[in-house]
Amino acid sequence: MAAVAAPTRAEALSLFRSLLRTAKQFSDYNIREYTRRRAADAFRENRALPDAPAAAAAFAEGKKQLEVAKRQAVVYSLYAPKSKSVMELKVQ
Amino acid sequence: MSSHDAHLTREEVVDRVLDVLKSHPKVDPSKVTPEAHFEKDLGLDSLDTVEVVMAIEEEFKLEIPDKEADKIDSLPLAIEYVANHPMAG
Repeated sequence: MAAVAAPTRAEALSLFRSLLRTAKQFSDYNIREYTRRRAADAFRENRALPDAPAAAAAFAEGKKQLEVAKRQAVVYSLYAPKSKSVMELKVQ
Repeated sequence: MSSHDAHLTREEVVDRVLDVLKSHPKVDPSKVTPEAHFEKDLGLDSLDTVEVVMAIEEEFKLEIPDKEADKIDSLPLAIEYVANHPMAG
């Protein structure tokens, strides 16, 4: 593997923020929450990677997943659920 | 919860920011004060902070640019930002 520098803290947080913002675009509650949870879990899991190549690889994977999420947000918007999930209903 | 009034009072901003923090799963609601620091007082890490700032954006229907969002690490700064934002609703 080529020697690549580890992402900076600011870059990592910015990727995390982009993933969360993309997650919010899903109109389906389950997909929206899953994407948010998946991003948060992955960042927590990879918060203390031992070396720069591992961190760079995780960062590259995150960027790839961001592209997937952006694409899927568009696809899912074409098939938006007609009704809300029961989880989204406000308790009267 | 959300107000349709064009202008938010400072008290309203403080109340709603406090509510957002209190409803975050990792925050102990009894520790939330208008002066609290996310990491020092509430025990949040940098990832939690990103999530909290995002929740505040959602509450006030704002989009805070990365550069600004990175600076917000405490309740006073969050309240200040929202109170000074012309589009906060």
